[in-house]
Amino acid sequence: MKVVLIFDQGLAGAGGKSNPNVGLTAVKGGVGSALMLEPHFEKIGAQVAATLYCGNEYFLHNEEEVVTKMTAMVKKVKPDFVLCGPCFNYPDYARMAAMISANILQNTEFKSCAMMSVENAETIEAYKDKTPILKMPKKGGTGLNDSFADLCEFMKGIVEGSGELEAVRNRVCY
Amino acid sequence: MMQKLEKILMPIANVLSRNKILIAIRDGFLVTVPITIVGSIFLLISNFPLEGFLNLMTSIFGAGWDAYLGRVSAIAFDCVALLGVLSIGYCYAREKGLENRIGGAVVALVCFLIITPQKTVVELEGAAEAASFSGFQFTFLGTAGMFLAMLTAIVSVEIYAWAIRKKLIIRLPDGVPPMVMESFASLIPSAIAMTIFFVVGIIFDHTSFEYVHYFIYKVLQTPLVGLGKLSGFEVIYQFLSTLFWFFGINGPAVTNTIFSPIHKVLTVENYEAAQAGLEMTNIFTAGFSDFFCNFGGGGSTLGLVIIMAFLGKSNRMKTLGRLSLPAGIFGINEPLIFGLPIVLNPLMAVPFILTPVVNTIIGYLATITGIMPITLGVQLPWTCPIVFSGFLVTGSVMGSVVQIVMLIVDILIYYPFFKLLDKRYLEEESAAGGEEDELDSLSFDDLELD
Repeated sequence: MKVVLIFDQGLAGAGGKSNPNVGLTAVKGGVGSALMLEPHFEKIGAQVAATLYCGNEYFLHNEEEVVTKMTAMVKKVKPDFVLCGPCFNYPDYARMAAMISANILQNTEFKSCAMMSVENAETIEAYKDKTPILKMPKKGGTGLNDSFADLCEFMKGIVEGSGELEAVRNRVCY
Repeated sequence: MMQKLEKILMPIANVLSRNKILIAIRDGFLVTVPITIVGSIFLLISNFPLEGFLNLMTSIFGAGWDAYLGRVSAIAFDCVALLGVLSIGYCYAREKGLENRIGGAVVALVCFLIITPQKTVVELEGAAEAASFSGFQFTFLGTAGMFLAMLTAIVSVEIYAWAIRKKLIIRLPDGVPPMVMESFASLIPSAIAMTIFFVVGIIFDHTSFEYVHYFIYKVLQTPLVGLGKLSGFEVIYQFLSTLFWFFGINGPAVTNTIFSPIHKVLTVENYEAAQAGLEMTNIFTAGFSDFFCNFGGGGSTLGLVIIMAFLGKSNRMKTLGRLSLPAGIFGINEPLIFGLPIVLNPLMAVPFILTPVVNTIIGYLATITGIMPITLGVQLPWTCPIVFSGFLVTGSVMGSVVQIVMLIVDILIYYPFFKLLDKRYLEEESAAGGEEDELDSLSFDDLELD
C-alpha cells in the first residue's frame, strides 16, 4: 500500500513555531513523525511514498493555493491512501488536514482521511461529513499507539475493502 | 516488551491524569507558580550572590533596603498554603463542573481559616502570664499548612458541590440579577461546609494534637515530604516523566499530580530555613528538578540539539537541530518530540530516558560532596537558560559549572544514538540502495494544475 502523508512543519521535522512560514515542500519517503507510524504501517504492508508539508502560517496566508497544490501533488504521486495527520490538537494543522482531505475525496479518485484530537471541535464539526476524521489523543494525551492501530485498521479496510469497514468507521471516526 | 510496558503505564497515566482531585491539586499549584516566581525574583535581588551588587544597592537606597523586598517574597512563600487552598479550591470547583467556581474557592479559603489558629500565645520574659494576640501566624499559612490546604480545598468544595447538586439552595424569584441569585444559591452550601469545618476544628481543640494543622502535618505531610528527602526520589520522578513521554504521554502532567506538592514543600522549606538562619537541607527542590535534571526540555535534549545542529550530516538533522536550538536554550523541545521524532521512536528511548536520570545523579553527588551549594528556596521560570539558572538557583558559579559538565555528559550519552539516526536519514536522503524514480524529483514548483 502506497501512502502519502500530509504534515505541517512541526510533524515534518522542519521546526515548530520557529519556522511557521515554510513553503510547500514534497519529499520522497517519510520524514519526521513518519517514523512513529512506520511500525504500524509495516503491519498492513503500507509504505510512505512521499511526505507533503508546509508551515501552519503559510497555510493560513495561502489556503486555496495549499489545498489545490497538495491535491495536485497527490494526483501526481498516485497513492493508495492519503493520511492528512496526525494533527494532535494543533488547530491550524487540523484545519489544513481536513480541508485537503475533503478536497482530495471530492475532486480525485484517491482515498484519504484526516486525523485529529477532539480539541479541534470546530474543524471536526465543519468537515466530518466531507471526509473521515479519525480520533486521536491531544499532544501528550494517552492512547497514541492505539489510535495508530485504529488508523491502520481503517486504512486497510478502505484500501482492500472489508465487510466490517462501516463498524470500524463508526468506532474510530468522529 | 514496549507493548507490555505501555499496557502497564497507560492505565496509570489514565488514572493519574484524569483524576479530578489530582488534577485540581496539580493545576492549583500551577496557579501559584507565577506568584512564587515573582517572590523569588524579589528574594534574589535582596540576596543577590554578588557582594558588589548588594553594596551598590545599599549605597543607593540606604541600609535596610532589602527588608522592603521581603514584603513580597514573604507573601509568596509564607502564605503558600493560603494561596494553595484558594487556587486548588477554584480548580476543584472547575473539575466538579460548578458554575460558581470562585464561590467554591472562597468557601475553601474560609474553611481553611476556620480551622487555622486565630490566637497566638507568647511567653514574655519576666511576665507572670503569657500574652496573647489575635491574628494568623505565618507558621500555619506557609509550608506547614500545605497538605492541610490541599485536603481542605478538596473536602470543602466537595461538600459545597454536594449541597448544590442536592439543590440545597435558596431560590430567588425570576428577575433577580444573576449575581444576587448566584450569591444566595451559595449560602446554604457555604454554611454546611463552614459548619463542618467549624466542628472539626473544635474536635481537634480537644485532642492532644490541639490543631488540625499539627495532626495533618504529622500523619500526612511529614511522611510524604520525607519521601522527597530520599536519594531515589528525584531519579524516580525524572525516570517516570520521560518514560511516559516516550509513549506520547505528557510525562510531567502525569507525575506532577503526585510529585509537585512534595517539590513545592521541599523548596519552600529551604526558603524558610534560610530566612530563619538555619541550614537548608532539601536537595530535590523545584529549582534542582528544573535546572539540574533537564536542559532543553524533557529528556534533557539540549545536548542532542547541539550535536544535531553542528555535527549532523543529514539535512534533516542539521535543519531540525538549527531550528530547534533557540527554543531548546529556553527549555522547549516540542519540535524535536514530534519532528525528530522522539515519541514512539525506540532508538531514542534509551538516551531520552537515561539522560535526565544521569543528570539527577550528577547533581545529587555534586550537592552532597559540596562541589556546588544546595539549591535555594527560590523558583525561577523553567525557561531560564542553562548557566544563568545554575548560578541564580544556587547562588554560586559552581552551579553553572556543574550544569556545563552535565551538558557535556548529555552530549556523550546522545551521541551514539544520534549517529545511528543521522546515518539512517543520510541514507534515505541520498536514496542509498534505492532506484531512481519520479518521486526523487517531486517539486511543487513545476506542478501542473488541472
